[in-house]
Amino acid sequence: MTIQKIFATLNGYWAEQGCLLAQPYEIEVGAGTMSPDTFLRSLGPEPWNVAYVQPCRRPADSRYGENPNRLGRYFQYQVIMKPSPQEFQDLAIASIEALGVDPVQHDIRFVEDDWESPTLGASGVGWEMWLDGMEICQYTYFQQVGGLQCRPVAVELTYGPERLAMYLQGVEDYRHLQWSDAITYGELRFEEERQYSHYNLELADIDMLSKMFEMCEAEARRVTKAGFPLPAYDYVLKCSHLFNLLDARGAISVSERTGMIERVRNIASMVARAHVARREELGFPLLGEQGQAEDQQ
Amino acid sequence: MAHDTADLLFETGVEEIPAPAVLPALEQLQRLVADGLSGARLAHGEIRTFGTPRRLTVLVEGVQLRQEDLEQEVKGPPAAAAFDGEGNPTKAAQGFAQGKGLSVDDLQVRETDKGAYVFATVNGVGRDAIEVLPEILAGAVSSLGFPKTMRWGSSDFRFARPIRWLLALLGPNVVKLEVAGLQSDRLTWGHRFLSESPISIADPSEYLAKLEDAFVIADHARRLELIEEEATRAAQEAGGSVRLDPDLVEEVNFMVEYPTALVGRFDSRYLELPDDVIVTVMSGHQRYFAVEAADGALMPLFVAIRNGDEQGLDTVRRGNQRVIEPRLADAEFYLAEDMRVKLSDRLEDLQRVTYIEGLGSLYDKTQRLEALVGWLCGRVVQVESEARTAAERAAHLSKCDLNTNMIGDTKLAKLQGRVGAEYARRSGEPEEVALAIGEQYRPQSASDTPPMTTPGRIVALADRIDHLAACFRIGLRPTGSADPHALRRAAQGIVRIILDARWRINMPEFIATALDNLPPVENEDAIPVEQAATQIDEFMRARLEAELANRGVPYDLARAVLAAPCPDLLDAFERAVALRDSRSAGRDAFEQVMMAAERTANIVRKPKAEQQLALAPEALEDPHEVALNEALGEAAAAVESALAPDAGRDYPAAWQALADLRQPIDAFFEAVLVMADDEAVRNNRLALLAAVDDLFLRLLDVQEVVIEGAA
Repeated sequence: MTIQKIFATLNGYWAEQGCLLAQPYEIEVGAGTMSPDTFLRSLGPEPWNVAYVQPCRRPADSRYGENPNRLGRYFQYQVIMKPSPQEFQDLAIASIEALGVDPVQHDIRFVEDDWESPTLGASGVGWEMWLDGMEICQYTYFQQVGGLQCRPVAVELTYGPERLAMYLQGVEDYRHLQWSDAITYGELRFEEERQYSHYNLELADIDMLSKMFEMCEAEARRVTKAGFPLPAYDYVLKCSHLFNLLDARGAISVSERTGMIERVRNIASMVARAHVARREELGFPLLGEQGQAEDQQ
Repeated sequence: MAHDTADLLFETGVEEIPAPAVLPALEQLQRLVADGLSGARLAHGEIRTFGTPRRLTVLVEGVQLRQEDLEQEVKGPPAAAAFDGEGNPTKAAQGFAQGKGLSVDDLQVRETDKGAYVFATVNGVGRDAIEVLPEILAGAVSSLGFPKTMRWGSSDFRFARPIRWLLALLGPNVVKLEVAGLQSDRLTWGHRFLSESPISIADPSEYLAKLEDAFVIADHARRLELIEEEATRAAQEAGGSVRLDPDLVEEVNFMVEYPTALVGRFDSRYLELPDDVIVTVMSGHQRYFAVEAADGALMPLFVAIRNGDEQGLDTVRRGNQRVIEPRLADAEFYLAEDMRVKLSDRLEDLQRVTYIEGLGSLYDKTQRLEALVGWLCGRVVQVESEARTAAERAAHLSKCDLNTNMIGDTKLAKLQGRVGAEYARRSGEPEEVALAIGEQYRPQSASDTPPMTTPGRIVALADRIDHLAACFRIGLRPTGSADPHALRRAAQGIVRIILDARWRINMPEFIATALDNLPPVENEDAIPVEQAATQIDEFMRARLEAELANRGVPYDLARAVLAAPCPDLLDAFERAVALRDSRSAGRDAFEQVMMAAERTANIVRKPKAEQQLALAPEALEDPHEVALNEALGEAAAAVESALAPDAGRDYPAAWQALADLRQPIDAFFEAVLVMADDEAVRNNRLALLAAVDDLFLRLLDVQEVVIEGAA
């Protein structure tokens, strides 16, 4: 099954389950969780069911394109359902079946793996989903996001499409993955990995990145205080990515590290609180729709 | 009165609970249900529990279908408050009777040791079990404690993982209860993929069999046996034998409901990796068992336990093989990188690795360890011995594995020390040095064994005392149950190593040396050296007390021994053993000595001695006090000679010398009035008794000993 077919299949499947199909967020993020469609929408009482592909960057994982399993830029397929439905685990398994995996012929398991993101002030309880011993998804019940308790709880399912595809296609190197029938992942992305690896690991200007970090942090605070958490959140994301770049350049000492993570977490929490306050001001609009839906049942 | 009974079955279905949490939850469940049933006066037979990743089940045989009727006497107000001067009931009596559904005439007055009280006899008519059970069962599941809990959906209910179904049956009938918004029913779910679920259970007796038909072995004890059999068989078929690490077997047992073993293979070139690394990569990441050949060498094979039957086993095998190779390749890469640098050449680099903020680098720590090892060697081994050379070399290299690529991988970090040992061997270091490096962090837990070699013991002691000194000095003393720097484990390790090695180490000196070694400390939570020394000494004593209990010393004797001065841990242990053996040889005789000694202590310690009373032997008059003084002199000499280091510290003999004082003490108390009118005589007698008490304190504080005969 090609990568684009995996995306199309998952889109079809989760749309059937009532998920909105969202598009990727256009600012650099390290994980699908950081998209506002997860981070901000998982806050507050409003129901929210969404699925989307999110391109992600982890500069420290750059390997010049030469490591068969590790990439500095890769993809996640992300599903959020809030409140978490009773049968979500069954839905998750059925989505793997939709990709052509017959569970009877394989070993699908849920292995304890709780999740924590210190930069986002977020944590959850959950599992790695194993397919024949390989982790293909991360399945998490959010407990806290942006320092706020999640009530109701959102459940997150994050697929690693490259891994999943390598398994389904029987391929040992990401470069040989068929993205479509005509084009491989390597043809699409190898040169990009090579160039970005040089940039991330060698070229990126540390002084400039440090200054940008300061500037973006200040901007996030200023814009949040002005009452606009959505644009402020963009600067939280930028801070997070700048931090990751500095880290990949080896420019952050152990003692600085804790402090910088805390700075990002502080602005993320500020934005989270401001966002919930704004949704409340708006009367939690999506809550109304659910209320009506429940009346019709 | 015979009662009808029925079996009770209660299953809580969950999304996969973390494997280590299942057994503790089952133990609690068993206790909570047992307590609930007995609290509700419901007699029952055997209680069994069953656990899988997806279910916590309790099965109780022969639960009485109806509570016993209960005739109960309830205490009310004092008689004086219940009846006025003319014997008429007051409002208090009326209120009490009404509250119990009785009239005032039904009340009785009885004397108690606190005076006369009013009593009512209440007849409770037993209720049907099926009405009582919902509260017991729902209460039990809601009270289960887990290391970590969560919320899900819109509910605030907390549990280890989301609850998905509840099955509750008393005989053929559903016990109707609700937990976390779910209603109980008679339905259970079989294996996630191999069965048609849900499955209806007509009666508790068919639960296990029906689940087994649905590819779930619910009985975890049986499943564990199956895993061991399966793994053994699979490895044998592949020409090897499986290493059944008990912790891993237990973990795997709570990760599967229907175990089937398969053997996978990896490229034999990975056998170049240290065995510990291969085994940890397989067990830690993937929960695979290692397979060894007849000579004990690892084979390029692993045993995985699949959750399911034989269908698609080859696919599952190939999938697992694909996963393990990249992980072994990572380790191979680490090894190749690490081997470019000799272990000893890594020392300089440790200057860049912080040990604990404010306490220098790991390089500084290494230097401290070398100094402490030197100090210890001077006390426990020959100065120019091979053990000393090995211990010093091992201390020098002890932390050099901490900045290797191998230990830098978080999943392999727990191999610290063991990787260092292997790298030391590969760098041509002597075997004793490698062993000592490998043993330095042992014992890692209560079930782990302490180091066995002398150099290993010395390095391990130095490492721990430095850790305690460093942490206490900067104010990182454990509070409550939180112990993030594992200081309790470090102290316990010191105690176990010293008692096993039978070394006499003066603890106050050892602690002071470790504190003196530390760099100047400047943080704001730092505490003065003397105070840190006292805190560490007290902390060590608490661990010693726990360890004495582990080694079969009754708690009162442990306390008695520790309340006497004990600069040396082994000394305290041996004193405690001598006392324990004496008491078990003859409790009466032992207690008579204790009573005599305690009487002495009670007199001399009662007035807070403001000044040391000096004994003037020549002023003793009464023959009994003269006799006691003479006996004391003999006993003191006997204790001294028994405890002299070159006499081998004969604690039983020292104790016997003390025990011989019983008769003169008893005779003294019988004949002599301590509190004589003449102050000089009185003080002289008190001084004599104080000297007796002091001699006992060489071995123990008698006031801590529980004397059964002295009720």
